[in-house]
Amino acid sequence: MSIEEKISKYKKTLDLFPNPQEKYQYLIEQAKKSEEFPVELRVDEFKVNGCQSQVWLVPEEKDDKLFFKSDSDALIAKGLVTLITSIYSNETAKDITNSKIDLMDEFELGVLLSPARRNGAFSMLKTIKEFASKLI
Amino acid sequence: MIKVDDIKKDFPIFERKINGNKLTYLDSGATSQKPNQVIDVMSDVYKNNNANVHRGTYVLSSETTSKYEEVRVKFKKFINAYNSDEIIFTKGCTEGFNLLANSLCKNLNKDDEIILSEIEHHANIIPWQMAAKKYGLNIKYIKIDDSYNLDLDHLNSLLTSKTKIVSIVGESNMSGMLPNIKEIVSNVKSKSDAIFILDGAQLVPHRFVDVQDLGIDFLCVSGHKMLGPTGIGVVWGRKELWDSMDPVYGGGDMIEEVYYDKATWAPVPHKFEAGTPPFVEAIGLGVAAEYLMNITMSEVQQHSDSLREYAKSKLENIDGLNVVHSNSKNAGCTFAMSVEGAHAADISLMLDTYGVAVRAGHHCVQPFHRKLKLDATFRATGYIYNNEEDFDTLAYAIENSIKMLK
Repeated sequence: MSIEEKISKYKKTLDLFPNPQEKYQYLIEQAKKSEEFPVELRVDEFKVNGCQSQVWLVPEEKDDKLFFKSDSDALIAKGLVTLITSIYSNETAKDITNSKIDLMDEFELGVLLSPARRNGAFSMLKTIKEFASKLI
Repeated sequence: MIKVDDIKKDFPIFERKINGNKLTYLDSGATSQKPNQVIDVMSDVYKNNNANVHRGTYVLSSETTSKYEEVRVKFKKFINAYNSDEIIFTKGCTEGFNLLANSLCKNLNKDDEIILSEIEHHANIIPWQMAAKKYGLNIKYIKIDDSYNLDLDHLNSLLTSKTKIVSIVGESNMSGMLPNIKEIVSNVKSKSDAIFILDGAQLVPHRFVDVQDLGIDFLCVSGHKMLGPTGIGVVWGRKELWDSMDPVYGGGDMIEEVYYDKATWAPVPHKFEAGTPPFVEAIGLGVAAEYLMNITMSEVQQHSDSLREYAKSKLENIDGLNVVHSNSKNAGCTFAMSVEGAHAADISLMLDTYGVAVRAGHHCVQPFHRKLKLDATFRATGYIYNNEEDFDTLAYAIENSIKMLK
């Protein structure tokens, strides 16, 4: 599945929940069932700065493809970063860099994805793209 | 008694719906909402009077200059200053502290001491840290006790002949703590020759601050937290102190004579107001001060006190909610909260879905959050346009959010 297809798949799921409360509930569920993040990786080296919640992002390169692990101390943010890492994992640096689709607009998560909140998820998306662009 | 329903009519923002709900705005500690009177006067100045102040000899400039300078007179009354020239306009409290730290500290000697408290806002910490580093000064912090109040015995133990500046918060933006400033000032003055600065960011919007009665030397005020626009604040100081201090910013309007190699300064207040001031914002602030004076500050204070009592009883009864709030009889209507096992950012996002606006984070009081071993709290503050129903909505939304997050 391409990055665009994965974004579209999650968008369809998120659109099933018309009000923000249900959207957050969905993200909380994603966070709760996400792969466990090793505590020893919660270090400054992998920290993506956010104002209200902390986010950690561990990138890994395997066979020309990039893989990301992520975590957050806040549950809704963790749900969101879990979606974002699954979208951009198992993709090449070139595909990540070339992907122009604006996840911010697609997901319609309002304040959660707003740069004004200076939240970890927003910074993380930026970090993934920067990391990929450096590898090209 | 304040009639909240009538007051709300002056604030157009309350016509908005947030996520389909009425707006329950409980973030006035971050910034207050603005009444029509403030919005209209600013729009009116731009439409009818706009011209730079202190410059022109034409009608518009003269009108704008009068309106701008009149604000000093209004503010003199608002805080019972001795003289309207003692009112210096700044961008806000943060700039006020930077101005004071830069101007006062350069006259101090190495190893002189500045006393702050553990619960200060970063605006009343960082400018002093920067000045202390530059001039070799030491900073000491008054402890906050288990009731989230100032430990006055500890303050006494810190006062020495080296204490040159004491700068503390008048109302905590985290715990609502309201130190007895008059008593503290008299104590500080009897044991040292320190200059006493009061952080009025949260205090001035809610209580009558009589600078003469308190015996303080400087007061920093934020305009946007007291119904005024952003980008404007006030530092009040005793005239003899202002006269003895050097300006921090140089430029137009703050000079008397300029030569290629030197310049002389204009008298206070203009000595400290370089460049074109935010005069439209200042005029807006003047109307905000008038709005509060019309309600009367004693009514504003009574409302804060009764709302605080109600909110406190409501919030303290929520299972699993940790409330960081002064245990004193007197406190501001400000509550920092946390929930074991749920992040403050999650709670505040959930509250937003109920139309409840609160702030999450460390509220620029990071060292004290660290001391309490809290990464973040979410904070509710009440103001003149809030009523008991707003705190009912908050409590209901918190209880439901906790259920969803746990």
